[in-house]
Amino acid sequence: MIYIILQLIIIIGLAPLMNGIIRKIKAISQKRKGASVFQMYYDISKLMRKDMVVSDTASWIYTAAPYVVFGSTVAAALLVPVCATEGWLNSAFMGGDALVFLYTLALGRFFLMLAGLDTGSTFGGMGSSREGLISSLLEPSMLIGLFTLGLASGSLSISRMMAESTAKAVPVLNPAYIVIFIVMIIVLLAETCRIPVDDPATHLELTMVHEAMILEYSGRQLALMELAASVKQLIIMTLIVNMFFPITFALPAGAAGVALAILLYAARVMLLSVLIGIVEVCTVKLRFFSVPNLAAIAFILALFGFVNYFVLGR
Amino acid sequence: MKKTDYDKLIQETFPEAVIKTEYKHENMLYAEIYSRSIRDLALFLNKEKGCPLIFMAACDKRKETGKFSVFYVFADRLRHILIVLKIHAETEYLSVSKDIPAASLYEREIKDMFGLVPTGHPDGRRFVFHGNWPGGNFPLRKDFDRKHKPEFMKRPLYFQKVIGGGTYEIPVGPVHAGIIEPGHFRFSVAGEPIINLEAQLYFVHKGIEKLCEGMDFERAFYVSERISGDETFSNSLAYCQAIEKLASVTVPERGSYTRVIFAELERLICHFGDLSGICTDVAYGFAWSHFNLLRIWSYQLADALCGVRFLRSVNVPGGVRKDYMAGKKEIMNEFLDKIQKELEDIMKIVGRNNQFNDRIEHTGILKHHTAEDLNAVGPGGRASGVACDVRKAFPYEKYSGLNWNEIVKSDGDVAARMEVKAGECFESISIMRQAADAMSEGDVRVDIDSLPPDSWEIGMTESSRGENIHFVMTDSEGKIDRYKVRTPSFCNWPALCQAVNGNIVPDFPLINKSFNLSYAGNDL
Repeated sequence: MIYIILQLIIIIGLAPLMNGIIRKIKAISQKRKGASVFQMYYDISKLMRKDMVVSDTASWIYTAAPYVVFGSTVAAALLVPVCATEGWLNSAFMGGDALVFLYTLALGRFFLMLAGLDTGSTFGGMGSSREGLISSLLEPSMLIGLFTLGLASGSLSISRMMAESTAKAVPVLNPAYIVIFIVMIIVLLAETCRIPVDDPATHLELTMVHEAMILEYSGRQLALMELAASVKQLIIMTLIVNMFFPITFALPAGAAGVALAILLYAARVMLLSVLIGIVEVCTVKLRFFSVPNLAAIAFILALFGFVNYFVLGR
Repeated sequence: MKKTDYDKLIQETFPEAVIKTEYKHENMLYAEIYSRSIRDLALFLNKEKGCPLIFMAACDKRKETGKFSVFYVFADRLRHILIVLKIHAETEYLSVSKDIPAASLYEREIKDMFGLVPTGHPDGRRFVFHGNWPGGNFPLRKDFDRKHKPEFMKRPLYFQKVIGGGTYEIPVGPVHAGIIEPGHFRFSVAGEPIINLEAQLYFVHKGIEKLCEGMDFERAFYVSERISGDETFSNSLAYCQAIEKLASVTVPERGSYTRVIFAELERLICHFGDLSGICTDVAYGFAWSHFNLLRIWSYQLADALCGVRFLRSVNVPGGVRKDYMAGKKEIMNEFLDKIQKELEDIMKIVGRNNQFNDRIEHTGILKHHTAEDLNAVGPGGRASGVACDVRKAFPYEKYSGLNWNEIVKSDGDVAARMEVKAGECFESISIMRQAADAMSEGDVRVDIDSLPPDSWEIGMTESSRGENIHFVMTDSEGKIDRYKVRTPSFCNWPALCQAVNGNIVPDFPLINKSFNLSYAGNDL
């Protein structure tokens, strides 16, 4: 029980910070001071206190979508342990497998796309169709990537995969793990609507993907949507750091060990945020019809990793 | 053929058409012709002599002659001569749009503003006015009171329909997500690819032309400066040139060189803004911020030279307001060194970014013949291989004495437009340096007391967006009777709509930014 509460607090509490760090990195590259790394917390608390404007043509889907999106994202968050310590991995709730994880996220995305279509605005539909294209192209890569890790650990449960990674000491030295790592980075950039797939900072409604779908939202509902997006980002980051850069040395037992694990976790995801920030600085947005190429690269790499497992074994 | 041969040529080829011809200046032939012959003559000049139609304006002269006059300006850019044709019309005149597409928008504008019907025009829709303007109100007729507010009508807008399976329309604007001017875009798309784009503009129509009627030329000068925020200097310069030609005065050398420096500085500011805009639209944050930095430095240079970053009130009819360059050469060269070095560095970095180049190459291609047909001007035209720089074709101020190159590319895509703009920045820096060196001590302005009555003149400049034409006509008291402005945006909006076709919707902002047209300058 304590782990569930800890997990929720850590994931939801840390998620907006990652966006703050990425933005800070970008600001530095542009010779700007940039907003505080805590800006997104202020934004969300401001939005929570604001009134909502709802379109007359909106149906119940529009109202329900923010809760479904946020709820499903948080539910998915419960399947990805933030710390791969013994107690954490073995606690009751962490047994969910990769398929449940993927399709819990997909449920949220489905409602997000419906919400984009629901108000009948020009841009919502465009965003939904683009999101549909991108996510359907990337889903196979993520699926095969997780299957490969599952084969390596003999279980589709995410906590088993993490335990296996931890046991491997330096999993990144394994060729299968290396390619899946690259796949996961591409998936991370695409799923969280980052450059080169989407530009989270754009004001150009014709180029938007994620932003176009939530363009009609305001107030509390917008806050939930924004928070859900950042939570989703942190979940995939958590998956990456715990699968590919696990803590391999023994942690002290008891509360001290847990605290140290959490600290190390926070440090690793922050480092990954810095890395994402640098990737965003160095790349430009792809032409929309080049996104399938990126997805193809991810898929080929994932397949390569998959085959690798059979050739090289664990 | 020599430039002076044009009048003989016209008279010999169309002996029945011409009422009279005269050379107003060495490089402007004026011909009054019968309205029945305008089509033949226009086609002859445009198709056989290869002179694009660059300007059309109508004037309400019913009080004096009982008729409207319509002016057509053709430009022979190679021989540096303007051919101005004038016809009279009562209620309708022959349209030339079917053969000369560049005339289409002028004719529709004249129809909305004067109620003069171009017979045989392929497009009978409104242009300046939207559905809310009641018919029968023609604001530029002299009997239309400026303060009159007609009733609000509610009629739908008409756009070209694209019919077929899977096609639909995307309406965008007039209010946009960013802080930009208003304009409505109607995309007809099949999925992401754009089949047809129509732009509905004139949401910020301010009635500038009507406002200036009856004004003193000193007062109208301030209006000319405020036509479009980022083209302040080139607009006021074109206006001043028209006034100076009317008053037959020559700007002193030092004043003229000072004008060259400020005109190029304005080009630098605008081009840096455009370059940074192109980078923003592909989410290239690094280049965006560095081009913006250059823009800010250019603004600071403007501030250091004249104390006004937007270059307002620097010009004055007859020269420049005061000797801005006195003792400022060192400061200017310091800024220019800094800007040039940084610009070289950024262009190197940007040129090496393959992902960025992949985005801008083959995006938004404006074909050469389309550019010629629509008389696309400025960097938009030059990127498609049209050598249309006014500074070369019709040199004004001191440009002809300076050593610089007109940059012309042939690809017509966003990359070509970006290269043209970047190249022009380097040329501008060089021109500013040369002008500062060439300056000698002396006056910077002459006074103009009054304008001659009942005459007209054309002022032309190359603004950052291209060929900028101001037409000024005086009434019997020497006040302004008609002030017609044609900014480059007017020519390039239809070119943009053509360049977008066949591209995908998410690329539209990028193509749009590579032209970066002005709404205010178009809507007047």
